[in-house]
Amino acid sequence: MGLQAQLWRGIAAFRFASLAYAAVLLVVDRANYDRLVLAWAVLAGMTGWTVATSYAYAVPARRTRALLTADVAVTAAALLSTLAVQRPGEGSAMPVTATWAAGPVLAWAVAYGRRAGMAAAIVLGLCDIARHRPLSSAYHASALNGPILLLLAGWVVGYVSRLAVQAEQAVQQAAQVEAASRERERIARGIHDSVLQVLALVHRRGIEAGGEAAEIGRLAGEQETALRTLIAAGSVAPLAPGELDLCRLLSQESSAGVSVVTPAGPVRLGRAAAQETALAVRAALDNVRQHCGPGAKAWVLVEDEGDQVTVTIRDDGPGIPAGRLAAAAADGRLGVSQAIRGRIRDLGGAADISSGPGTGTEIVLRVPRLLDIPSPRPTT
Amino acid sequence: MTEPQVRVMIVDDHPMWRDAVARDLTEAGFEVTATASDAAQALRLVAAARPDVVVLDLGLPDASGVEVTQGILQARPDARVLILSASGEQQDVLDAVKAGAAGYLLKSAARAEFLDAVRRTAAGDAVFTPGLAGLVLGEFRRLAAGQQPDGPAEPQLTEREAEILRMVATGLSYKQIAERLVLSHRTVQNHVQNTLTKLHLHNRVELVRYAIEHGLDSDTPAP
Repeated sequence: MGLQAQLWRGIAAFRFASLAYAAVLLVVDRANYDRLVLAWAVLAGMTGWTVATSYAYAVPARRTRALLTADVAVTAAALLSTLAVQRPGEGSAMPVTATWAAGPVLAWAVAYGRRAGMAAAIVLGLCDIARHRPLSSAYHASALNGPILLLLAGWVVGYVSRLAVQAEQAVQQAAQVEAASRERERIARGIHDSVLQVLALVHRRGIEAGGEAAEIGRLAGEQETALRTLIAAGSVAPLAPGELDLCRLLSQESSAGVSVVTPAGPVRLGRAAAQETALAVRAALDNVRQHCGPGAKAWVLVEDEGDQVTVTIRDDGPGIPAGRLAAAAADGRLGVSQAIRGRIRDLGGAADISSGPGTGTEIVLRVPRLLDIPSPRPTT
Repeated sequence: MTEPQVRVMIVDDHPMWRDAVARDLTEAGFEVTATASDAAQALRLVAAARPDVVVLDLGLPDASGVEVTQGILQARPDARVLILSASGEQQDVLDAVKAGAAGYLLKSAARAEFLDAVRRTAAGDAVFTPGLAGLVLGEFRRLAAGQQPDGPAEPQLTEREAEILRMVATGLSYKQIAERLVLSHRTVQNHVQNTLTKLHLHNRVELVRYAIEHGLDSDTPAP
């Protein structure tokens, strides 16, 4: 309740300040008063009431409707006492309460919102008009200023007060949600670790046992990789808007046959460049699956070299016979070569494909930083 | 097994893994001198167990991998720590390796692979997976990027070391690398080992620098 408490403290400060203002006015305008002693007595009463309400309003439990109503009544009485102490015909002068009369309007507005604030403003505004003698003299634009300002104050302060309460509730709710999700994350981490341990054990023992157990072990191994990838993706540093972490993007490709090897931290790259690079890597891995059979293994190495990002994809397959890529390109069957080279060239980078019998195929993608293509080419 | 018995200590909070690893090691002729389920127990036992190799799980409940690795190496500087992790949390692995661990293996590694790793660790070789090679490469890049023009020189990889690490990171075995680069198997191993030694040294220098900067060395008695 930080904001509300501050608003109440603000009201108390306003009351003391306007009390001092009323006292100054009483000294300056003493010529306008028939019964100056009585006027000082009213001011003494106002002082007492200011101290009492400031003390009472400081604690939420004491801000009762009865007290707030009494506040309006006391202030109205002080305002109307102007009739008894001021010389008639001085209607355009400040009442004995001066700006102090706005106190209950602010209190009602903060406590119950803008409608309540305006209602209090109307009551006190009517009293302010009623103190004019003759009543018709109230029909001056300047005499109506006070009530109109009271009304505005009630509306604005009530509105701001509600807004503050709502904002505070929203912040509190967000904090609760965050605390809950952090707690859930903490619990999940423990569970994930235990599950990983079991999966790894089943994987290992199953493969060793052979036969049907080996199949179970293989399945456990797949889930183990998937869960490890999920955990790795869960812990990322916040990135600037328009940037993606290439490591996180590529870690989705990891499986029993594909190891994605990255530095410990994120590798930031412009959104379009990162997505295009990931698509090129996927094309390369699809190619490995297609040509090297299901048992083939592949490694994807991500390196952050400052001004450029290098991604190396290597497989342990039979390799591409010399000249086959060039021949395919010459035939118009562009396939892998086009999908990968084209994408990377569009990013201002280069793709090197090298292969030899027995050493598998190695594709090195070099993507410059800084340069980013605003709209990615449509995926093929 | 006729090889001289290697003394191994196992630290893992999962009983089934502790038992499985201990059984595998014993069957393969290693001497399991102690097992511990948390960091406190491990640090209590390590001096008496006198292990050559400590097989350490990273996810211990009572301490981080860095703390356990440092504690073990302080109590027994001759021991070599082999990290065996289920989750492979990258930063944890990197931190533990910087703190002095000699190698890292995922728990999903096959038994033969694991036993070979323990054997190599005992022999003083660094056990690198492709994942660890990628982490170490990244760490040297990070250090190079943070090099201040007037600051102390950050450790750097030689071109050869970077080339070899890159090959390890893309799944090539030491044997394949040796063939490709026309080097001996031993030379490849030494290059890989060197990269870890540089990280360990750098880590120690950093700790000392930190201690001096923060006045932590002032409570040593004046001569």
